Amino acid sequence: MITRNDHSVWLRNRRKPSESDSYRKSSRNDRIDEQNDIATEDQSLMADLQVTLNRLKLRNPILVASGTFGYAREMAAFVNFSDLGGIVPKTVTGESRIGNPPPRTVETSSGMLNSIGLDNDGIDVFINKHVPYLTGLDTALIANVAGRTVDDFAMLAERLSGVSGIAAVELNISCPNVSGGVDFGTNPDSAKEVVAAVRNACPFPVIAKLTPNVTDITAIAAGAAEGGADAVSCVNTFQGMAIDWRRRKAVLGNVLGGLSGPAIKPLALRCVYQIAKSVDIPIIGIGGISTIDDVLEFLVAGATAVQIGTANFYNPAVSGSMATLLNQQLDADGIRSVAEIVGSIHQTTQQSC
Amino acid sequence: MNRDNSNVEPHSCEEISLPGQIEFARQHTGKILSQRVLADKTFAIRIDARELAEAITPGQFFMIRPERGTDPLLGRPFALYDTIVDDQGMPVALEFAYHVVGKMTNLMSEWESGENVVVWGPLGNGFPFYEGNHLLCVGGGIGYTPFLGVSRETLGTRLYGDSSKSSRATRESANPERRVTLCYGAQSQRYLADLSDFDDFDSSRFRIQISTDDGSAGHHGFVTDLVAQNLSAQGNDRPDGVYCCGPERMMAAVASICQAENVPCWLSLETPMACGFGACFSCVTKVVTDDGWDYRRTCIEGPVFPAESLAFQEN
Repeated sequence: MITRNDHSVWLRNRRKPSESDSYRKSSRNDRIDEQNDIATEDQSLMADLQVTLNRLKLRNPILVASGTFGYAREMAAFVNFSDLGGIVPKTVTGESRIGNPPPRTVETSSGMLNSIGLDNDGIDVFINKHVPYLTGLDTALIANVAGRTVDDFAMLAERLSGVSGIAAVELNISCPNVSGGVDFGTNPDSAKEVVAAVRNACPFPVIAKLTPNVTDITAIAAGAAEGGADAVSCVNTFQGMAIDWRRRKAVLGNVLGGLSGPAIKPLALRCVYQIAKSVDIPIIGIGGISTIDDVLEFLVAGATAVQIGTANFYNPAVSGSMATLLNQQLDADGIRSVAEIVGSIHQTTQQSC
Repeated sequence: MNRDNSNVEPHSCEEISLPGQIEFARQHTGKILSQRVLADKTFAIRIDARELAEAITPGQFFMIRPERGTDPLLGRPFALYDTIVDDQGMPVALEFAYHVVGKMTNLMSEWESGENVVVWGPLGNGFPFYEGNHLLCVGGGIGYTPFLGVSRETLGTRLYGDSSKSSRATRESANPERRVTLCYGAQSQRYLADLSDFDDFDSSRFRIQISTDDGSAGHHGFVTDLVAQNLSAQGNDRPDGVYCCGPERMMAAVASICQAENVPCWLSLETPMACGFGACFSCVTKVVTDDGWDYRRTCIEGPVFPAESLAFQEN
């Protein structure tokens, strides 16, 4: 939880922030220096960043998206994990998966397509090798799981409930790159069923990660809510493809992939906005977030928290800088808490009618 | 930095070593200092990045992208060509070479001195510090660039990374008999880079052999012909280790010659990467395991692999 005490170090700051600060290195040793760099002179940063998504409490709303942060070890050189509200590591499945043939990613205009195919070593290796490292970090661990059946999801949740230190589980019912990966995310009844089964199988909060590749995402969000989800993550990638016309071939080894990055931000914002307007469930906004303005746009649209995804690839230090930037921005605008700004576009709309 | 762990042990399923996961990698914003032409559509660019220059070693790489904008979006990986040192001999900038092939490299060719760029690194394991008697470096196209640093380090004329700080002992212990041969293949003369940076080596310990596919310079044919010639020599003229970087088909051919000649060979792979540090799982290559092969991340398990640890894709 953020208290004024936690931030007392910022009050000692003597330097104005510079353009390059968001790109600065961040390691545990020089972390205090960096905080001093980022904070502005004589400013007391005290907006309340804590957010609550039903049973899940986070010290700040800045999470990192599954599949863009490895198992956190990969990011240790660039991010001080205690600056994050939480980490969502790469999706884990019951058995190990070899993943899709390369090329697995290709850049597109202001975005990228990926078709990794849930390359992972399975739940046993995850629990034995990655969880001990992840739970040792000073931030919330939200495990992300994917299964082919309702029972798979329930089994994975049950396995994770035998491990201490897990804050929540996020259900990947939206992966476009494996067969059956999106089935639970494209039908409200299936979404409800899988969420309910996982809720029964584990004691911690359950988040359903939704696909935007549906006719009406609000119906899927409503299904997840009925199943007892604590929150929905919105959204996974948009299905797309890239073609090398000279070779008459798809660029990706798996032909189709998921589009992410700044290119999808307006599409993702629309999804968050629509769910916030019609379904009573906390939302974690995802989709092309790379700047503090992006974060605030998602909060205003109705997200209680956000996940930074593709930006981790091309600006690896960005996630660690975002909570401080959020604090500064809220402070500059006289906003005392994140909760005050979440969903504020809907209040505005109501008032203006 | 520990550079003894460069993947020399065979990979096993249970314990995957990640010698290219660099805990002191950093993200920096740095200025472009200069840009010069090396060959047709081939440039060398210098970036003011002291910390990175101090840490990086030959065969390691870093990612680079413009400071602003989202198109191009992702960073691109480049191997170190050389570090630039100040009057005290301390590295203050890094130089890398690139060939213009796509959106990012086209943009890069228009970058001017004084512009800011973002770099993160050092990344990857780099080439092992060579301790044999005669190293054969094999470069195809732009793949020759890591071998300036490799040659300097092997011949003891310059050290890189942490070893440069405690350089005296290492330098003095460098084997004075150690030799390097560079075989450099290009499509044709106009793509052959200016090699004057290699002029300062002692000619009794360093030589360059050139091949071009069209015969416009050097040996008419593939660089693999030169590799086979070198490995058929006797005594100290015969290399006892091979480092190779270039197109995958060339590397596969070099690896098979080395296997037949029973000479250890290391390959530096270039696979499409999104992040460079292991988060995205894009840059996988087939690595031999106890029960066949597995996709492994080139960026943090490599990019330099012992040739026998790789299962080449059949194209």
